[in-house]
Amino acid sequence: MAQALTSRWPRARDGISPWLFLVPAVAFFVGYQVYPIFRVVWISFTDYQFLTNEPARWVGLDNYAVALNDPLMWVSLWRAFLFTMMFLPGTIILPLLLAILIDRVTSPRLATVYRVILLIPAVIPSTLVFVLWKWMYNYQVGPINHILVEVLGLFTVHNAPQWLGGTSLTLPSIAIMEIWWGLGYHTIFFLAGLAAIPKELPEAARLDGANEWQIFWHVTRHGLQPIMMILIVLRFGTSMAVIDEYLIFGGFNRDSPTYTWTIYMYDQAFKLGMWRQGFAAAIGMIGAVVMMFFVAILLYIFRRRG
Amino acid sequence: MTRRTEQELLLRRLWRERLLRGEIDRRTFLTNSLVAGLGMAGVGVAAKYGIGSALAQDRPLTPTYYQWIVDLHPSIPQVNAQFPGINAQIAPVEGFGIERFVAEAKNGESTWDVYVGQTPFVEMSAMIAADVIEPWDPYIPKDVLDDMIPSIRAENTIDGKLYGWPFLLDVIGMGWHSGITNKAGLPDTPPATWDEYLANAKAVVDSGAAPFGATFDAHGWRSLAPMTHSLDPNVYTADGLFDFTSDQAIEALMLMKKIMALSHPDILLAGASDGGVNGTPDEVAFAAQRVGYYTKYFNAPLRMAQYWDDPGELHLAPQPKFTGGAGSTVFWTTGCALFKHGKNKEKVAEYIRALTYDPQIWQDSIAGTATGHPGQLPPYKSIYAAWDASPPDWMPPFVGLVRSQLDQARAITNHIFGLQQFVIGQPYWETYLKGEEPDPRAAMQKVVEAVQAEIKRG
Repeated sequence: MAQALTSRWPRARDGISPWLFLVPAVAFFVGYQVYPIFRVVWISFTDYQFLTNEPARWVGLDNYAVALNDPLMWVSLWRAFLFTMMFLPGTIILPLLLAILIDRVTSPRLATVYRVILLIPAVIPSTLVFVLWKWMYNYQVGPINHILVEVLGLFTVHNAPQWLGGTSLTLPSIAIMEIWWGLGYHTIFFLAGLAAIPKELPEAARLDGANEWQIFWHVTRHGLQPIMMILIVLRFGTSMAVIDEYLIFGGFNRDSPTYTWTIYMYDQAFKLGMWRQGFAAAIGMIGAVVMMFFVAILLYIFRRRG
Repeated sequence: MTRRTEQELLLRRLWRERLLRGEIDRRTFLTNSLVAGLGMAGVGVAAKYGIGSALAQDRPLTPTYYQWIVDLHPSIPQVNAQFPGINAQIAPVEGFGIERFVAEAKNGESTWDVYVGQTPFVEMSAMIAADVIEPWDPYIPKDVLDDMIPSIRAENTIDGKLYGWPFLLDVIGMGWHSGITNKAGLPDTPPATWDEYLANAKAVVDSGAAPFGATFDAHGWRSLAPMTHSLDPNVYTADGLFDFTSDQAIEALMLMKKIMALSHPDILLAGASDGGVNGTPDEVAFAAQRVGYYTKYFNAPLRMAQYWDDPGELHLAPQPKFTGGAGSTVFWTTGCALFKHGKNKEKVAEYIRALTYDPQIWQDSIAGTATGHPGQLPPYKSIYAAWDASPPDWMPPFVGLVRSQLDQARAITNHIFGLQQFVIGQPYWETYLKGEEPDPRAAMQKVVEAVQAEIKRG
């Protein structure tokens, strides 16, 4: 009996060991990722208000019905989508072009200098970036309007562009800032992708008479497809869910293009009335489902073929 | 282990403070410190003899401040020095967020004893609803209560209970740049009525003294409400909401449009900090010396004038009034909220009394220091009376003018939507200001509908 137990123990131990090693990661994943998601889903089905001590009551789909019938929900989602459409091309096309140019620099020292210069914006803390661009875009004292009004004489102090603060130029202005901020970071992604493409492939294509465009389109583009997919999916998610920049550059004016679904959610959860966090959770879940729908489409478009 | 060490340290600190205050003798101090230093056994003994309960109830006096208050009022540490062992902290309330206070109250606890930074119409109703704060009435001395300017006492009172101990008074008034207005041929006397104000602003533009004549902060509680009050401050519904469709509010909205015609085009845009509330375009225009006249709380022109070639060219006066109007304005105090689950409540009252009566704080606030010039005023009658009886040499003339206006001034009525009604309504009344809606009353009706729709949601 004792011998049988002894012989079974190593096998049992071997079976348990991998699970034991997984416990910290699983605990972290469940506690830090799964639980908050389910908690928010649960809250979205209640009338939970943060400022009251009354227990939350189950209201079923009421919050979702109210949110889906609220024009502000759809307008605010559309605004986030518009920003994403302004921002995403800049995170792919510009860094891709830059990466191809830097990849062709033959001097290693010069290539390193370019990489370092490009990475400078990425290492500036967000607070400084926002302060810098708020000053750049300032209507009264910003250098952009100073050049447009005082140097070039294209505008006057009465009709100069109003870049930030809720005008139609606000979203493109923020998109330009974001593209500048992430330019070096995204370029590094593409440089890594280019390094993974065997040098023989473009050389062989060149020997076969392909021009530079054909080499890019038929060789380089295919090699960079996985990097593009990662960047587009990641940045789609972050750009649809931007909140800090909108809070800083747009505020809580519902007419502002920066009043997106994330601000609407924040407004309901931490500003209005008794802080309707059940309703805010429903807004968040609707936004998340819309984003997941588009991410699924993107993953389908970039699926591995052949 | 860490917890035990913390308890030992806290106990030792407690006994040291009591020794310094003269509440215990040296022998008791040494005995108790020895007991507290015996590790867990010592803490157990301490608990048995009541030292544990002393630890729980006698933590150091722990006020927490909104950051800007400490930044703008450099004499606060001198008041703190009068309270040995005080543990003054900066509050986690960036952007007026009170979620930490609420979260702690839900657990029946509070890290702090008192919050110095509460603005009644912004957050007091929410703090009461969430059971975060309690009334000051059992703790505030009667002579202090009687010394408050009546309109300020009313601002801090809900259902007959004083939930805010007022400290820093902000009043909406007027400032002008005499370098610009003199260039436009205007006298250094303040325009008393809005008609004079508009005429002067037009003179600034017409003369080319500055590109813009006048400006205001587009947030409703800083422009629409005070301009309405200047005609009549009794513009609140029975529910305590601002009556946006009242004749007075419509008049104020029309006045805003007239001022806008003489102002910088970005006047309606959001500010650059605190969710668009601060760092507003009016401040930038006034700091850049591009505008002659300005209506906002005094702190704004005072701060912006520091960027001028000659800050001495700033003049301040009460807000103008409509001809035949009440001549009122809007004020608010940034005061102190007593945490329900805080400690040291009697001592907190003693501290806040010392803080709010401190003469150096008021001199610094009104006359300015190297670090700031907030221009915030005291809430007590006796301080103004003392200044009237013996005017200090640093006293600028605007203080007396504003004090006299305070008898007519009124705060925005406390309501859970006290501030948010203006945030919700702004895009709707701006349709009139932008020329998208020709009828101001129609625009204001949409404001009422939008606010009511939010209130119905809860």
